[in-house]
Amino acid sequence: MFSLSQRVQYIGNFSMTIGLVIIALIIGSSHFDLFQKDILRNSQAAIANIKPIVGLRTSRFYGASNGNPKENTRIAFDLNTDLSGLFNWNTKQVFVYLTAEYNNTEKGTVNEVTFWDAILPDADHAIIKLENARSKYSVWDYAGDLSGKDLQFKLHWNVQPHIGPLMYGVAQGDDVIVNIPKPESKV
Amino acid sequence: MNIRAELAKFLNLCFVFSSAYMFWQTYSIIADTHSPIVVVLSGSMEPAFQRGDILFLWNRNQYSKVGDIVVYEVEDKQIPIVHRVLREHHSTKNNGKQLLLTKGDNNAGNDIPLYAGKKTYLAKNTDIVGTVKGYFPQLGYVTIWVAENKYAKFALLGFLAITSLLGDE
Repeated sequence: MFSLSQRVQYIGNFSMTIGLVIIALIIGSSHFDLFQKDILRNSQAAIANIKPIVGLRTSRFYGASNGNPKENTRIAFDLNTDLSGLFNWNTKQVFVYLTAEYNNTEKGTVNEVTFWDAILPDADHAIIKLENARSKYSVWDYAGDLSGKDLQFKLHWNVQPHIGPLMYGVAQGDDVIVNIPKPESKV
Repeated sequence: MNIRAELAKFLNLCFVFSSAYMFWQTYSIIADTHSPIVVVLSGSMEPAFQRGDILFLWNRNQYSKVGDIVVYEVEDKQIPIVHRVLREHHSTKNNGKQLLLTKGDNNAGNDIPLYAGKKTYLAKNTDIVGTVKGYFPQLGYVTIWVAENKYAKFALLGFLAITSLLGDE
């Protein structure tokens, strides 16, 4: 009859084929779920009340070089969003991050920086109501200074699946554009 | 023992290995990177990526976006680091350079202490191996086990030798 190696080969190939079909079904069904919830393009977030706090740092780890201090900006902000629609059977976690885009016309650059991010491990954590929260990171512009620039804030999300391709998106909402003031000079 | 049959089996084995290698090189060319599939080695992106997960990379984008998960190698070491882009700055000129700052989701601070020399940023076109586009859980743990366990190589080769000898009774 059939030898052991033939049986093992047949079982191995068959289970791999079945496995690939199951994986394709998981990926397809989870994509379709997000598509018909219409959340891929229409997630909503309300960012408000952004207060920038500008100071000078002299450490290399805060952008300073050769003893020249660097302007660093932190913010306080309010955030209201409900991203629980992004969670289904194939969602392992959702990573949200609050970014600011700005142009540096003197140096001719387009920039985007992250002020705050969070890991949402399940749908319960996805309802975010933050008031006067602090940014996680102290942000500096590589080539120049953030002060005097208009920063446009947006909330992004990234769905990490249990298997398959990563998905990214931006939450819609009113435009939030904040001008960063100069650091208060210390006497 | 039939020498011809054994040599034919050996030739078959060579075909299997060389077609696997060709598949790897084709994927490298299509994705425009020298290492299109990487295995996660550290826990710095948990809970998203665990040690042993397999990541599929793509490198044909000119600019990375904030939030992309990129793989880079620090100059001397061949260890791929998988972290997320925290900040990006790029020039508005055509084909301007892009500078990226990265950070592991599970790390407290950004990657400046990891960068070679005194750099505070990565350059996208030279330092980035690729951007993570797809993910398969845990299958890469075999390679970690082979690389880190002294006896794993011998165990794996011994297993392959035994199966090839016992095959086709």
